[in-house]
Amino acid sequence: MKLNTYLLRLYPRLWRERYEEEMLALLEQHPLSFRDSLDLCLGALDASLHPPLGTTGLSRSDRTVQLVATLRRSMLTIFCAWVGFLLAGWGFEKMTEDAQVQAVAHAHSVVGISFILFVLGGGIAVLAMVVGGLPIVLTVIRSALARRQGGPLILLTVPMLAGVVFWLTTWLLGANDQPGIQQLWPLLHHKGLFWVTLLTAAIASPAAVCFAVVRSEISEQVLRFAVFPSVLAALAMGLSLAATILWGIGLQASAPHLFTGDAGLLRSSTTGTWLGIVSAMALATLLTGFFLLRACSVRSALRNATE
Amino acid sequence: MLPFNLGRFSDPPILILASLAGSPKHGYAIMEDIEAFAGVHLGPGTLYGAIARLELAGLIEPLPAEERRRPYRLTASGVAFLREQLTGLETFATMGLQRLATV
Repeated sequence: MKLNTYLLRLYPRLWRERYEEEMLALLEQHPLSFRDSLDLCLGALDASLHPPLGTTGLSRSDRTVQLVATLRRSMLTIFCAWVGFLLAGWGFEKMTEDAQVQAVAHAHSVVGISFILFVLGGGIAVLAMVVGGLPIVLTVIRSALARRQGGPLILLTVPMLAGVVFWLTTWLLGANDQPGIQQLWPLLHHKGLFWVTLLTAAIASPAAVCFAVVRSEISEQVLRFAVFPSVLAALAMGLSLAATILWGIGLQASAPHLFTGDAGLLRSSTTGTWLGIVSAMALATLLTGFFLLRACSVRSALRNATE
Repeated sequence: MLPFNLGRFSDPPILILASLAGSPKHGYAIMEDIEAFAGVHLGPGTLYGAIARLELAGLIEPLPAEERRRPYRLTASGVAFLREQLTGLETFATMGLQRLATV
């Protein structure tokens, strides 16, 4: 397959349905230089960030349907990224519970203040997501009750069930440390069970919520409203990420022995844990930013269409 | 190539509108035409990004496809928009030249 075809596959589906053939015809007449290849990649990024551009060939009603579906997908991706961010933040919070780390936070203002900023950003991100997500969840419940469908309601209980299972697992792992019970639960000795439960809960919960939302009819207005809190959540995530990076730099400067030691999660390397958490947070923030730009573009197009 | 920068008039949408003012053209013909009259090379990604925006804004419209190539033409709004832009440029150029004449 030619490079042209590969590069055009970077474009969103709707865009390709509308422009791919004529772009291929153009590229067959015009030899592709390195600059043009780069231009195509940037064009694909631009088309991905502005989904309405690919809807020019659609009727008004089809266009609205496609844009609402795109907005819903974007909001769900932001929600999943937010869950990933929360998990990484929770890991960071656990890491800072270490007595030595706490002592450094009290003695060195950079470490202490950056942790406060991290908590502040995390709190704002949670609040913003609740404000934006609550109307969507209520719509899912209302829609399920109106259509007498139990599926979405069951799916919405998955996060709570996952939370209970996770809590039970951590309780059992704690109990497993007691003499006598150790023989009953040899499997629980493995930290692997903790991670398996955590990852299963972390994947199943947002996936179940996403399925519930996809299977329900969410109005355009509710989705459009959710964009504003998402902007706030993204900014708060950025603040938390910056604070976490600053915290690591501060810890390295004020307590290098601790930074290179084993104060990480489950007594692992502090530097490794911190880098892992920062990478996860950065990825989640980038994903949120990207899909938020898409959502804003779609929101603006939908607003213009209704005015 | 033109020895000066066209400034904001080198924006891809304006160049495309100016190109289509002559006659309807498909993507490759627009690209070649702009290179010839403005000395600006529009990459395929930039060209189609601008075409999509102009189409979405109702300034150009597609004609029936000729094999795989689809020509575009200016709409009435596109003509009015381009006229407004070029009149602004003309006023600016006239004023600039008048002032230069006194130097």
